[in-house]
Amino acid sequence: MFLQYLINGLSIGSVYALIAIGFNMVYGILNLLNFAHGDTYTVGCFVIFALVAMKLNIFLAIMCGILVGYILNTLVERFAYRSVRFSGRITPTISAVGIAYVMRNVVLRIWGPETYPFDMGIRGAQVKFGNFVLGTLQIYIFIIAIVLMLLITFILKRSKIGQSVTAISQSIPISALMGVPVNRTISTVYGVGGALGVIGGFLFCIYYESIFLGIGFMLGTMKAWMSSIIGGIGSLKGAIIGALTLGLMESFTGGYISSQYRDSFVWGFIVIFILIRPKGLFPSAISEKV
Amino acid sequence: MINKNKKNNYGLIFIVFTIFIPFIVKDQYQLRVINMVLLYSIIALSVNLIVGFSGQLDFGRSAFVGLGGYWYAIMMLHFHLPFIIAFISASLFCAFVGFGLGMVCRRSSFDYLTLMTVGFNIMCMQVFLNWIPVTNGALGLRLIPSATLFGFSFDTNFKFFYFALFLLIICYIVIKRITKSKIGRAFEAIRDDPIAASYSGIDVANFKVINFSIASFFTGIAGAAIASYVNFISPFASSLDESIYLLQMAILGGLGSLPGSILGAVILVIAPEISRTFYEYRLMFVGFLMVVMMLWVPNGILGKNGIGERVIGIKKLYSDKKNKQKRDNGKRTLLKSKNVFSSKKENNGSGGKKK
Repeated sequence: MFLQYLINGLSIGSVYALIAIGFNMVYGILNLLNFAHGDTYTVGCFVIFALVAMKLNIFLAIMCGILVGYILNTLVERFAYRSVRFSGRITPTISAVGIAYVMRNVVLRIWGPETYPFDMGIRGAQVKFGNFVLGTLQIYIFIIAIVLMLLITFILKRSKIGQSVTAISQSIPISALMGVPVNRTISTVYGVGGALGVIGGFLFCIYYESIFLGIGFMLGTMKAWMSSIIGGIGSLKGAIIGALTLGLMESFTGGYISSQYRDSFVWGFIVIFILIRPKGLFPSAISEKV
Repeated sequence: MINKNKKNNYGLIFIVFTIFIPFIVKDQYQLRVINMVLLYSIIALSVNLIVGFSGQLDFGRSAFVGLGGYWYAIMMLHFHLPFIIAFISASLFCAFVGFGLGMVCRRSSFDYLTLMTVGFNIMCMQVFLNWIPVTNGALGLRLIPSATLFGFSFDTNFKFFYFALFLLIICYIVIKRITKSKIGRAFEAIRDDPIAASYSGIDVANFKVINFSIASFFTGIAGAAIASYVNFISPFASSLDESIYLLQMAILGGLGSLPGSILGAVILVIAPEISRTFYEYRLMFVGFLMVVMMLWVPNGILGKNGIGERVIGIKKLYSDKKNKQKRDNGKRTLLKSKNVFSSKKENNGSGGKKK
């Protein structure tokens, strides 16, 4: 049983990791958490779902979904973050929560609260090793997460825009003085975060073979937030390891302690974790007030 | 001093006016909504105490509404305690839990604190949902006894109105006194700049704990009162959406303004009752309001530099302009006379020197 729990935990953790990457990248740059992340990718996934239902080619549909995620998140940045960027930390959080609620309720009005089957023709095979079951889809998801992380790390380290992102995350006024186009870069980062979120959400839906409203907030933003706090804000490696830790935590508490109170125990662990190590496992180089 | 007295008079007139509301409003449904407004005002005040005065973003307020309500319901249904004991013990229990939550997040702030409160809310809701022998799960507890004081039962809307009004006035006065006291000043200092506050001798962590306990006390009172009034409590009253709604009451009215919280509760409790469509769109409306208000009026209607002050400010600007013109005209004549005087003097002086 232990191995099966371990594998379940790692596979669900890799799905969380994919969502957490986009979230944590955005979280790291301005140190403002993006409450709308989950709802952005919910809209994107529902767009993919609707386009596939209209018999569009699946790759085209995914591209459209990613584009929608990109545009939506830039809009979120433009309206909920840019104007209130320098007015403390409470104001942007509240405006982001507000925009998340708007998006969620728009989805609720259009598609309703039902759970739809999400059948894209992509289905992983089950590989059996003696006693425990391993899905190939989970391996693919894990590999995609790792590849995306390496790619983003490479872009951040090597490319010009990556360097400007790093500069902005250290100091906005100084990078503006150095000629970095601050607004455009931040907007791009948010857009890319949204696009990554849509990819994550899409794989999430495939993993659960269903799509519903709840993938946005409770399963998306919250888990991504928890994993970035475990892993360390602004650290991509941390996001993946945090998400895997979260997945393992969920799987083991569900298996050994109580499946009814699983979320409560996981939240309890997170709270204890924050008290012990608030900066996360892999803190970013810049110190931050807790 | 004169201004202060005037304000008090306005408050008194307002209270006297509200006392007659049940005589004017005969419709039972409307009276019920008004009662809910009074109770939600207390919650909005407590939210304001945390978010508006102390600057800690708390997404877990509805958990305390649920805790107060469930404690009251269980005390009344399972233990058959007298009303007043169950009622006060509910609020004390909430204060105690708030103290615990404050102790847990005394050293954390910003996102970490928000995350902890979200987690607390989710944990509470899960306990309410799953602890079936005590909380009856998703069905909730029914037939909770109404409020009774000294054999007098507040079972009708008419009678309960006065109970709720009394409660609101007491809570308002106490919270007002708290915000004007040393503790309240400390809260505001923590909100404005925690580091500066800690350097001026304010124990930030402990004041956060105090703040959470006080606010949870009032939320618990309101939660127990709501449970006693509706005679029913379900776990869905303490969902995260509900917390956001409660938060929006404080934001809409104005963070840091106590009358504002009441106004926010009035708007956000009455508006969904006016039309069914609005009820369905209420969270979208709240979200939209949150964004728009954060962009232009982060301090709400009655807060500092909020909508109210701006409207008055425009009027004032207009009247100021008029006054200024008058004053300027007056000054100009005065200046002219002064100039004349001084020039004469100078002339005299120079003349004197020449001599």
